Amino acid sequence: MPFFEAWRLAFRVILSNKLRSFFTLLGIIVSVGFLVAVVAIIQGMNAYVKENIAGAVIGTNAFQVRRTPITIGLLDDEQVRIIQRRPRITRRDAAAVGRALPEARAVALQSGWPTPSSDVRYRNQRVGDVLVFGVTPPYQTVQDYRFTAGTPLTDPDIRERRYVCALGFEVADKLFGNPALAIGRKIRVAGREFTVKGVIAQKGRVLGQSFDGFVLLPLSTFESIYGRRKTTVISVKMNHAEAVAPGMSRAEEAMRLAHRLRPGEENDFTVDKADALVEFWRNLTRVLFTVIPAVVAIGIVVGGIVIMNIMLMSVNERTREIGIRKSLGATRADIRRQFLVEAITLSTLGGALGVAAGWILANIVSYVSPLPARITLWSVAVALTLGAGTGILFGVYPATRAARLDPITALRRE
Amino acid sequence: MPDCVIQTRELSREYQLGSEHIHALRDVSFAIRRNEYVVIMGPSGSGKSTLLNVIGCLDSPTGGEYWLNGQEVSRMGDLALARVRNREIGFVFQTFNLLPRATALHNVELPLVYGGHSARERRLRATEALARVGLADRMDHRPNELSGGQRQRVAIARALVSRPSILLADEPTGNLDSATSQEIMQVFHRLHADGQTIVLVTHELDIAAHAQRVVTLRDGRIASDERTRSAA
Ligand SMILES: Nc1ncnc2c1ncn2[C@@H]1O[C@H](COP(=O)(O)OP(=O)(O)O)[C@@H](O)[C@H]1O
Ligand SMILES: [Mg+2]
Repeated sequence: MPFFEAWRLAFRVILSNKLRSFFTLLGIIVSVGFLVAVVAIIQGMNAYVKENIAGAVIGTNAFQVRRTPITIGLLDDEQVRIIQRRPRITRRDAAAVGRALPEARAVALQSGWPTPSSDVRYRNQRVGDVLVFGVTPPYQTVQDYRFTAGTPLTDPDIRERRYVCALGFEVADKLFGNPALAIGRKIRVAGREFTVKGVIAQKGRVLGQSFDGFVLLPLSTFESIYGRRKTTVISVKMNHAEAVAPGMSRAEEAMRLAHRLRPGEENDFTVDKADALVEFWRNLTRVLFTVIPAVVAIGIVVGGIVIMNIMLMSVNERTREIGIRKSLGATRADIRRQFLVEAITLSTLGGALGVAAGWILANIVSYVSPLPARITLWSVAVALTLGAGTGILFGVYPATRAARLDPITALRRE
Repeated sequence: MPDCVIQTRELSREYQLGSEHIHALRDVSFAIRRNEYVVIMGPSGSGKSTLLNVIGCLDSPTGGEYWLNGQEVSRMGDLALARVRNREIGFVFQTFNLLPRATALHNVELPLVYGGHSARERRLRATEALARVGLADRMDHRPNELSGGQRQRVAIARALVSRPSILLADEPTGNLDSATSQEIMQVFHRLHADGQTIVLVTHELDIAAHAQRVVTLRDGRIASDERTRSAA
């Protein structure tokens, strides 16, 4: 029997038992759907982390000199204890890094984690939970901030500890409706009065999180309100990506000198770039990518065993049909092909339904939650291959049993 | 022997049931010539079905030789046997053995599917075979939409469609009423008149009366082998 005939026959059998076929395939559908959906979400988040978060948090072509690494969550207790004994990052450190990197686009000092939040008021208008950053003027360059209205913070603002601020777009929009109207107005932040100098253009949302709900204060003013904090960070922006790595090592040297570290002594600071965040994320997804195959493998094996059982049942039910076909000249290969093609068609269909289910699931997730999803071709290919492979693996035994049946024995079966 | 379709020598078939040996066939030697119409008779359990199944390559002998068209079938492997069933033998069962989900046409096409014929040729030949048994207008019916007699006609068309050298029928009227049985027997007579070699198992005497030759089995042995009238 030609392959096409076997395939057509398989389709007829599968379609004539729609419900049974569906339940047979449930294991495959769920496993493959899970695979596709989770991979889509991880891939989507990967792309997002790379394209948005890293740039938004640190800035492009930028790195940071920090007391604690960004990825502190991955350290063990002992490492955390050592890090907690490190000295703070000071203005002197920032100046030293600035001198070591004359070609840097900007070297800034900024208040670090945890960023305090405050109500911001203008007359009877109020915006809650606005993030308050204390920064030096170059920070605005590091972050690639563009001003839709007014002017950036300046060095005299820092030196004279002025009560001025720059607003994130969302805050200005909520308080004044039009950013231009905000300039020169007096607003209240953390219970003190500030004059608005500028409004920063919209950066948009990442993972459902607005990056425009903040207010920038001169670092000196910030510290007089919130105190001098241990988490101050130096941000450095280079002119292009290739300058980042050499810049990082020169900054490291400058910091070692500034902290008077002897050769062989360990750094008491960390030089991190945005990649550290991406790296952190990558480590997380690596863990996921080792867990997922295990879960999917279990699902597929269970699904495969179900398929094998149903196929054995089907061979049993259709013993007489097999006898009839053999009496008419079907060879062992014909019968084996018939049942194998049926198993493969069935399980590939399961793979396809699983891809559809996973696609729908991923879209639902990205619709109702901030998690983005990105369906990748390779996960679809893997899913379909898994489906077909399961059919082959678990279809061989039932098909071989069907093929081995003796014609007269098969015909006598009721 | 000239022009022999089938030749057997000391053909035997034993079954092992627990510790008991059942000799369903013992040393059956006979020959069937082209265009013969042979009826096999005998009491129930005498080995008629066993003999027909062995001749039809559905069952294998445990001893002796079986030659079909000059080829020794009793030495053939699985693949060659499938080929013989497909091309040389048309088998009609008492219980019809049609595929219940398939239409009459598709049931009749089936041997040609395994014979590797093109879809066009399959359709052509299956239509022709159904017309020969008077079912040209029932091609798209499924078995459950056909009467017993019509089902058996479909089965006969299926047995004929690959133009076998021999048509075997095991009590083809066993499940039919006497009027329908008469019609089915008419179909066999017509096929024989057209030159088809036929071996038919029955235990109805009036059916045997139409045959050229009656072989009677008893306890797995040939008890008698008679020509009832000279060839027409
Ligand atoms: N599969 C089998 N296993 C054991 N004994 C069998 C089997 N098939 C047939 N027989 C025995 O072989 C003998 C001949 O059976 P069969 O050819 O069906 O007789 P008939 O068709 O003449 O009634 C009987 O005794 C029957 O019980
Ligand atoms: Mg019988």
